[in-house]
Amino acid sequence: MIQSYLTVSILLFCIGIVGVISRRNVFTVFMSIELMLNAANLAFVTFARLHQTMDGHVLALIVMAVAAAEAGLALAVVILLHKHKGQLDTNVFSLLKG
Amino acid sequence: MTNDFMLLMPLIIITAGAISLMLVAAFEKVTIEQASFCCMGIFGIAFLMQLSNCITGNVTPYETVFNNMLVISNFTRVAGLIILGCGFFTAMSAQTYFKQNNFCTTEFYSLITFSACGMLLLTMVQELISVFIALEIMSLAIYILVGYDRKNKTAAEAVMKYLMLGAFAGAFFTMGAALIYGGAHSTQFSSIGQFVAENGFFNNPALVAGSFFVLVAFLFKAAAFPFHAWVIDVYDGASAPITGYMATGLKTAIFAVFANFLVADESLRSSWVNYLFYFSVFTMFVGNLIAIGQDTLKRMLAASGIVHTGYLLIALVAVSADNFSGNVILYYLAAYAVGTLGMFAALSYLGGEGEKRKSFDDFKGLAQVRPYSAAAITIFLLSMAGIPPTAGFMGKFFVITSAIDAGQIALAVFGIISSILSMWYYLRLIISMYFHEATDSFEDTTSNGLAPIGTFILAACVLIIGLYPVII
Repeated sequence: MIQSYLTVSILLFCIGIVGVISRRNVFTVFMSIELMLNAANLAFVTFARLHQTMDGHVLALIVMAVAAAEAGLALAVVILLHKHKGQLDTNVFSLLKG
Repeated sequence: MTNDFMLLMPLIIITAGAISLMLVAAFEKVTIEQASFCCMGIFGIAFLMQLSNCITGNVTPYETVFNNMLVISNFTRVAGLIILGCGFFTAMSAQTYFKQNNFCTTEFYSLITFSACGMLLLTMVQELISVFIALEIMSLAIYILVGYDRKNKTAAEAVMKYLMLGAFAGAFFTMGAALIYGGAHSTQFSSIGQFVAENGFFNNPALVAGSFFVLVAFLFKAAAFPFHAWVIDVYDGASAPITGYMATGLKTAIFAVFANFLVADESLRSSWVNYLFYFSVFTMFVGNLIAIGQDTLKRMLAASGIVHTGYLLIALVAVSADNFSGNVILYYLAAYAVGTLGMFAALSYLGGEGEKRKSFDDFKGLAQVRPYSAAAITIFLLSMAGIPPTAGFMGKFFVITSAIDAGQIALAVFGIISSILSMWYYLRLIISMYFHEATDSFEDTTSNGLAPIGTFILAACVLIIGLYPVII
């Protein structure tokens, strides 16, 4: 049973990575990152159940709080970018080229 | 008990200062000038507090309350000193920078203080989720500071890149923490170390994958190869004082926590040293190649920051988990911090309105118009290149001797070769300052402000730290 939870967690994490790499919309990229964080939370809770300790549950809650703060900032940045260019496709943002 | 309180005092001052600056910003009477002085005051007091704390060995403040999550040692103390110094000089250069650029509000200084709070916490924490929280306190404040000029399109792009990649690395870190928790039954460094010592490392797949993810996140934040691509764009987009702050304070905090994590257990460290070897060599050479190709000063300094990350990784390869002191890492960080901060303080007042002086050519003949500033910049560049009697030379000397002591002769040789390569782009600016006729009169640059004073103090620091390495 524990294994299936872990499999779901790793699948979610991989979907998140693929989303970050392949999607071109800033918004979708941020959503994929949230997906990765949620995958980590699922792993925390699963391991807490496996070890029969409460630590993992607490850690998952803390990660959620931090993720919410990050999402707040991310949304502000999305609005800023939309004001500048009128669209959110990452291809439009090309002033800086590594 | 009271001693614990005193040890945490710098962190408390910084946090309380950040919150009160944020509240004070609501009053319109407070000017940005006053805010910058308040910010400097907070950093100054916290610096003196940190300096007055003497500790030997590891102290765990408030063991029961904090559940052993914080550990203070001499290593964290000196790292904290470097961070507070960086904050102080950043506020100083920002004060002058915002005389020519007017996108500043009072909250700017509050955010600098908030990120310093995250950095200080990061040097002390000994537990993975606390590391994540400290990392996010620091990063969230830095993201906003990078994109502070909302009308500037380059800054907006820089913050987008930084935020996307930073959050991506943060997600990797959390997953790594979850897997380590699964593998080692705990997220505390000491318990992880104990678990690894008893049960081995490579026979535990969750632990291996977890530490790999955590390592990726650290390497990303420290801007090491192959996660270095963001640095140049982000440093280019941010304003000069903030670039200096990111290059020094942030790097100090990341390397402090990186070292703390690696020395949790000897077998954990020795299993990663071989990989860190390659990361360090590639970071140095890729950084040099990028730096040689740059035409703007800020991008060159960003790329040279990658090279310095490479040297710090050499120092990290050479540490040993038994009787770890981290002196070499700290000395190098301090030497690098004074040089880079000074460079960006000089850029803050020489850059002009909207940072119009960017490229090497814009600084042609600076020595004829502003001889003292040119001399100070030369000292910083020589220090970064590692020429005696500057701090940078002693830093490189200690790093390379520590690598030889640890038996990593190849790494020491690569370090020296990379240091010779790096002369090319540092000397290029010196040549353009001294051996060309002045085309620009630099008339709009202000001399009355704190950034010039800060620049000369830091130039003196470069020489003092270089001549008396015992101080650190």
